[in-house]
Amino acid sequence: MATQAELLPGNLDLVILKAISLGDVHGYGVLLRIEQISHGAILVQQGALYPALYRLEHRGLISSTWGTSENNRRAKYYRLTALGEREFRQQRTSWTRLADAIALALTATPQEV
Amino acid sequence: MSGPPGWAAVAGALARLRSWYRSIVHRDATERAIREEFEQHIALHTERLVREGLAPDAAARQARVAFGHAESHREDARASRGLRWYDQLRVSALDVKLGLRMLAKHPVISVAAVLALAVGIPVGLAPSHIAAAVEAPLPGDPAHRIRAIRYWDPAAVAVAATTTSEFAYWSRELRSFSALAAFRASPIQVALDDGRPEPLEAAQVSAATFAVLGVVPQRGRALHPDDFVPGAAPVVLIGAQVWRTRFASDPAVVGRVIRVGRELSTVVGVMPEGFRFPSYAQLWLPMRLDATAQAGGGATVQIVGRLAQGHTAEQAQAELERLVPPLTVDASDAERRARLRPEVVPFGLLFMGLPAGGLDAMPEYYLAQLLMLVVLLVACGNVAMLVFAQTATRFKEIAVRSALGASRTRIVSQIFAETFLLALLSAALGVFLVDWALGHVNLAAIGGQTAMPYWLTLRVTSGTVVRAVLLATLSATAAGVIPAIGITGRAVYQHMRGGSGVRFGRLTGVLVVADIAVAVAAVGLSLAIVRQVTDMQGLAAAAGIPAADYLAVEFRPSDAAATDSGRSARALVTALGAEPGVRGVAVANALPLMEQPSRPIEVAGGDAEATGAQEWVRTVAADVDYFRGLGQVVLQGRDFDRNDLEGQDRHVIVNTAFVTQLLGGREPIGARLRFAARGAAAASAWHEIVGVVPHLGINAVNAERGAAVYVPTALDAITPMHVALHVGAAPMRLGPRVREIAQAVAPDLYMASPTALTEFRQGDWYLVLGLGGGLSVLAFVLVALAASGLFAMLSLTVTERTREIGIRAALGASPRVLVWTVLRRSLLQIGLGAALGLPLAAYFVSTVVGESAASPLWALLIATGLAFGIVLLVAAVSCAVPMRRVLAIEASIAMRAEA
Repeated sequence: MATQAELLPGNLDLVILKAISLGDVHGYGVLLRIEQISHGAILVQQGALYPALYRLEHRGLISSTWGTSENNRRAKYYRLTALGEREFRQQRTSWTRLADAIALALTATPQEV
Repeated sequence: MSGPPGWAAVAGALARLRSWYRSIVHRDATERAIREEFEQHIALHTERLVREGLAPDAAARQARVAFGHAESHREDARASRGLRWYDQLRVSALDVKLGLRMLAKHPVISVAAVLALAVGIPVGLAPSHIAAAVEAPLPGDPAHRIRAIRYWDPAAVAVAATTTSEFAYWSRELRSFSALAAFRASPIQVALDDGRPEPLEAAQVSAATFAVLGVVPQRGRALHPDDFVPGAAPVVLIGAQVWRTRFASDPAVVGRVIRVGRELSTVVGVMPEGFRFPSYAQLWLPMRLDATAQAGGGATVQIVGRLAQGHTAEQAQAELERLVPPLTVDASDAERRARLRPEVVPFGLLFMGLPAGGLDAMPEYYLAQLLMLVVLLVACGNVAMLVFAQTATRFKEIAVRSALGASRTRIVSQIFAETFLLALLSAALGVFLVDWALGHVNLAAIGGQTAMPYWLTLRVTSGTVVRAVLLATLSATAAGVIPAIGITGRAVYQHMRGGSGVRFGRLTGVLVVADIAVAVAAVGLSLAIVRQVTDMQGLAAAAGIPAADYLAVEFRPSDAAATDSGRSARALVTALGAEPGVRGVAVANALPLMEQPSRPIEVAGGDAEATGAQEWVRTVAADVDYFRGLGQVVLQGRDFDRNDLEGQDRHVIVNTAFVTQLLGGREPIGARLRFAARGAAAASAWHEIVGVVPHLGINAVNAERGAAVYVPTALDAITPMHVALHVGAAPMRLGPRVREIAQAVAPDLYMASPTALTEFRQGDWYLVLGLGGGLSVLAFVLVALAASGLFAMLSLTVTERTREIGIRAALGASPRVLVWTVLRRSLLQIGLGAALGLPLAAYFVSTVVGESAASPLWALLIATGLAFGIVLLVAAVSCAVPMRRVLAIEASIAMRAEA
């Protein structure tokens, strides 16, 4: 397992959008999926998850429907909306560009100066 | 995926709206869903932990710990939807319960606050209530389909006459009205079975009137088209009151014959109870329209109509403006028509002579509204102080709630809820009391009328209730939110750190000073005016006329079309003068002590040119024997004689007040004046002043200020014709004889009930009476408010300084020192307020009432001094209860309680 990384403020929404973009999932499933796709590197505070989900739903980036969970309980499933897909692509591009730039800056050698 | 440009913003906005709608409208369902989702989350995590080997109990506990404080997450969840403000402002049933508890806990403060707003809110409501009442539809016309059609003269700001020919034209052409009706109201002599003639208000109405009004007689029939044919047998409809009082509700009244004016008319029907169209009428007669009336000519009538199906008043107005009735050959008619504006207005506006927008269109209305709102604001200011004092006693509770996470907005909205409850209670009480009072007080008598217009109801309507709730909300905002903001926030943290936190600031100090100042001024003014009203009883004596020896009778032509009323008038005056016991007969359009009409006057300068300055002056059209009839001696110059009516030169007589005010004391005899141009009417020719008489009771408020001009007028041109008969003591005994003479000599003249001249009251008198009464109530309210504000402020001061007082008492301070310590600031404010109010009162009193024979300077000084004393006394009494608390404070108890 990789060492756990702190999420920067504002990045939680991006990670949640990614987790939901992989398939409809309920709230607890979002938590597990983030843990899974980040190989345990990103651990989301359980209390912070729901305000973020409701915020995304309020902005129209995800929608929700009630369904049945794997343990036969009533559960609320989240799905990415068209608006959410667009937002996710934009945020991902922006993040990748920033991460690449920072990585490039951090890997610079004295010869490049 | 991408859509058209901007779609993302639209989709986002729609999503937000949907989310808000769900969270606000389906709040409970949303809350349930959140709780269910949280439970599901914890259950899934528990199952996972159990799978990892934890015991179920331990797993459940750990899952809950890992999830954290569900309530906080729930709040965060709602906040993430941008609804924190809504949650905080939301008033719950608990807030209402707390509010009721607070009202019961501080009964004195609650009662003071409720009374303050119970007066302030109805006062604030009054102007809009009256404006709405005036424009309300006629009884039995809930859809407001009946409208009046009139000409409006914008230059004169008055209703101009409409004629039968215009009525005929509009009846024919207007499509937006299903029918039009013309009417003309005037009193008429009616002799019933007992033969006793009695003046009754009557209305001549056109054929369609009852159809337009949608009213049918309760007995008999309405007027039939045949009744309007020239030469048809005279018929009359009687009102329910006449039927009840004069015919003892006789079921066989229909068919009986009564004398109406000069004709014997058959009663054909009895109108329903309460119906007195157009305003006071008790008899309705067919109006015979003059079919030969020339275009633009004909008799003056008033017009109402019923809007046709599917037409609005606005469409009717537009059509009316398009249709121009044909003109006469008379050039002045074209000029008149160009000046006038045809209007479709609510019936009340025609009757009251108000502009098309109603009271709302008048600047005076806004001034009155502003003044009334100032009263409400003063009430709110005082209630704010009471709320401030009440809230200050709850500092501990507020501090604890803040510590537990209640936000400032939440606490402020709770205090608002409490004040709102108080304001609603006050509004309900105030509106109920006003409604009760309006139902029990004879408003007509106060207004100097025998009855109110039948369509005017001042009772509370649903619109009034809505406005009352609105004012209660505004009052609660002013009186609750402002002190709540002051008392929460930093003050709470200071209190939690051990400080007192609450201090009455500069604002409350200013409020107390202003309260006292306004109270002194209002009390002073109302005292002076009330004194004036009582003094006016002696005005007759001040006018220089033995009014108690005079009988006053009003005569007017009973039919507008009568042409021989001039001859009748002359015969009548001669007959009355010849009656034994009558020492003098004075005839004018208004007698001393009555309301005289005013006209704008210009006085010629030294070179007989107009100075341009105009002044409205009471103008009396008087018979040439007027002053002799009143036993008056002309002070300067000469009296009128017959030549003044016939010669080319125009002469007038003025009174002493005219000489002082308009001539500045210069020589009056030979000076010239003219009646200034008004609207389209050109200025009159110059009139020469030939004599000066005493003031003769022209101004009820201040005799010395009542400038008047007497214009010599032929008897037949004096309308209404008021006759003063000098008959000596107990003038009323001659009343029946005067009626007999009038019946014999001038049967075509309508004669009102004879009255002793002392019983006449000018419009000013009622104005002063109303103003005095209103101001007295207002002054009482302001003093009570100032007292309650002071009481609240001192109560709080004592509460917050209990510890300090205890320490001082323990250190041996005398009661006198203790009382002084607490009272010092308040006394300073009271003194400052009174000192500011005193000159204010003196200014108002001298401007409004003025120094006069009836109110000399010393009387005004006594009024203002008394006001000062009353307010100080009330202020002192309101200090007494808190002071008793100061003296009752035991040092040890005070210090233990605060520790």
